[in-house]
Amino acid sequence: MTEATGHVVEARGVSKWFGETTALDAVDFTVTPGVVHGLLGPNGAGKTTLLSALFGLVLPDEGTLRLFGRTRAEAGPGWLDGVAGFVETPRFYPYLSGRRNLAVLAGLDGGDAAALIDQALERAGLADARGRRVKGYSLGMRQRLGLAAAMLRRPRLLILDEPTNGMDPAGIRDLRTALRQLARDGVTVILSSHNMTQVEEICDAVTVLHRGKIAFAGRLDAMRADAPDPVWRLRTGDDGAALEQARRSAGVKAERHDDGGLVVFAAQDPMDEYVLTLARDGVAIRGLELDVTPLESLFFQLTGEAGQPGETRQTPAGLFIPPARPDNVPVTEEVP
Amino acid sequence: MTLAAGQWPAYAEPAAGPAAGPSDPRQRSGTLVVWRLELAKLRGQWRVRAIALMCLVGPFVIVAGLNVQSATPGDTAFGQWVHTSGFAIPMVILGFGGQWLLPVGTAVVAGDIFSSEDHFGTWKTILTRSRSRGELFAGKFLAACTFATAAMVLLIITGLLAGLLAGTQPVVGLGGQLVTASHATELVVVSWLSVMPPVLGFTALAIFTSVASRNSAVGIGVPVVLTLAFQVVTLIALPAWGQQVLLSTPFTAWHGFWEQPAYVGPFLYGLLTSAVWFTLCSAAAWLVFRRRTIGGAS
Amino acid sequence: MSRRLAAGTAAAVITLLTLTASGCGSTGLTAPRLQTSLSSTFANLYVLQQTEQGNPKPSAASLKSQASCQKGGTPDIPQDGSGVWLCQITYLVAGPGYPVIAKYNVDVQTDGCYAADGDGPASVNGSPTITGPHYAQLINPLSLIDGCFDTT
Repeated sequence: MTEATGHVVEARGVSKWFGETTALDAVDFTVTPGVVHGLLGPNGAGKTTLLSALFGLVLPDEGTLRLFGRTRAEAGPGWLDGVAGFVETPRFYPYLSGRRNLAVLAGLDGGDAAALIDQALERAGLADARGRRVKGYSLGMRQRLGLAAAMLRRPRLLILDEPTNGMDPAGIRDLRTALRQLARDGVTVILSSHNMTQVEEICDAVTVLHRGKIAFAGRLDAMRADAPDPVWRLRTGDDGAALEQARRSAGVKAERHDDGGLVVFAAQDPMDEYVLTLARDGVAIRGLELDVTPLESLFFQLTGEAGQPGETRQTPAGLFIPPARPDNVPVTEEVP
Repeated sequence: MTLAAGQWPAYAEPAAGPAAGPSDPRQRSGTLVVWRLELAKLRGQWRVRAIALMCLVGPFVIVAGLNVQSATPGDTAFGQWVHTSGFAIPMVILGFGGQWLLPVGTAVVAGDIFSSEDHFGTWKTILTRSRSRGELFAGKFLAACTFATAAMVLLIITGLLAGLLAGTQPVVGLGGQLVTASHATELVVVSWLSVMPPVLGFTALAIFTSVASRNSAVGIGVPVVLTLAFQVVTLIALPAWGQQVLLSTPFTAWHGFWEQPAYVGPFLYGLLTSAVWFTLCSAAAWLVFRRRTIGGAS
Repeated sequence: MSRRLAAGTAAAVITLLTLTASGCGSTGLTAPRLQTSLSSTFANLYVLQQTEQGNPKPSAASLKSQASCQKGGTPDIPQDGSGVWLCQITYLVAGPGYPVIAKYNVDVQTDGCYAADGDGPASVNGSPTITGPHYAQLINPLSLIDGCFDTT
């Protein structure tokens, strides 16, 4: 059984439950070669469980899972040949240096992995820290070491679970460039995130998970075509009049936002019309900004839970009002 | 610090080929790869070095201690002969310390070798390389057994040497017979070797408790507690077969070798007991480990 | 897994302990075994004692040593198990008409090993030391006898 279908990853009907909780519910997940594939979902959606299943860290209760066309049983010890990456924050032996850790992992891999260590450390930007014990590494440094460890395996499939956690914007940018280059070289990348903006910028295809089920799977362009209108935050001199005007304008829907001002759902052109109309009616515009991109909006629709604090709120008109959110929710450091 | 683009290593061709089974030579040598790496990791542990040091100098320290006073260890076989013949010394060490020193010594390593990965969260790191769960399990298991064996062999050598230095006069056996130096040497070595099986039994037990609990304190502590428990239980008037079931009993099977006529019944039963404990604990540890969920995925 | 495994293990252990503690089966610590072991060990040690004292060396067989042991010193309790046994060893030195009786308090352990403490006569096992050639003080091999017998 070889790569008949050509898919790098093919999961059919994969289910996993932990006691009473269903982590994955009949998930079908397909990844084609050479793309950067985003796995999206809120926390607890099952992304980590699915990625763990790809690595064989979690064994599904139902369904089949194929990597490069082979199931775990068919592949035997070669199941993870050409596959590398990490699930949740990469963990290493804190009492060993970065370099020693990679040497241990290269030893487990065999082959010529050991020869790649110094190169991988340099590419990951850890050349200076390689002799220091991992105990002293920051979260960002551990993420980079995880990447270096992955590259030792010359992967054709790279699986990264929230790789930008703990990274500064420069690091995120670099990662994006590196991953796009890898994709051009023919490496398939699976990237998980709960942040649609990041995914938008780098991925070609996307699978959205919600409560263990697939909410959407397909190419990003297809997703954009399906996406609802972008969401704007609008502050005016007269919110009441603005709401009235919105009811009269085609292609524009508006609601009051809890923090004041309005939330407006409209495509770019109707929005322009609406703003000009408000000005003509003497309603002053005090602030206008794009709050949620179309894809983010779609994401919230697919995964939003009405009534949950901090989550999106659904209005009676069926519109999802995103929560007021800071840009990067800080991730708590894991205790080593 | 940047992630340089475009210069990652080149990639291997797609792997095609038949599925590999457990008889694949790659899998057999995979276990050895893990075994060697684990031994290297053990060599760096302070605990292992401390135990090695104790095995190296312990018997000589004991001989020196015995030399500075005229009293003899009571309540232990060969105790009264320690000033008369050097061969009594390794036998006193075996009799006195064997039943708790050796199980604790092996538990300190075997009770930690699996659960340390849980402690550091590194199971997911090493399970996502080119070694299967079976290879990792077998490699670590072998490394723990290797440590136990090596420490025992070291102790046999230094114990015998310390005894030989103290004096090679014939020693009085447990049957009242006088045992010459060459025969005594043989009996000392054979007696010590006879406790290897229960030591391996305790190794497997410590591995099981550490795999099941994912905690080194439990992995080491439970075998230690069990050692004490066995010694308490053995004092009860159990039927002979009940005594044989305890893993502590094979530690004294060597008494029969020193009797006249020598008897090996307890040794053979001890072999069976050790084998059963070893097999059950190893199998249980593997069953728990092979399909376990790694990580906090939920 | 862990709950089922723990429950199964606990059940097995409890069953095993109950079976063993219920005492079905002998402890293997019986009078005949103790007597056999003690009498032959005594004989060998007597030979050793005589040799060390510089006396003519008897043959162990000629002593025809026979031990007779009672647990707790009385026949009224079950003669089986660990604890203190009182033993008398009868042996011949100067011919069949003159048996000598050596007494011992024997502490028998559960693994079949025992420590027999000499309880008379004084010249045989009463003193912890004996005098060898050149007035050397040696351990009296008959004063404290360590031995073991097969309980299986």
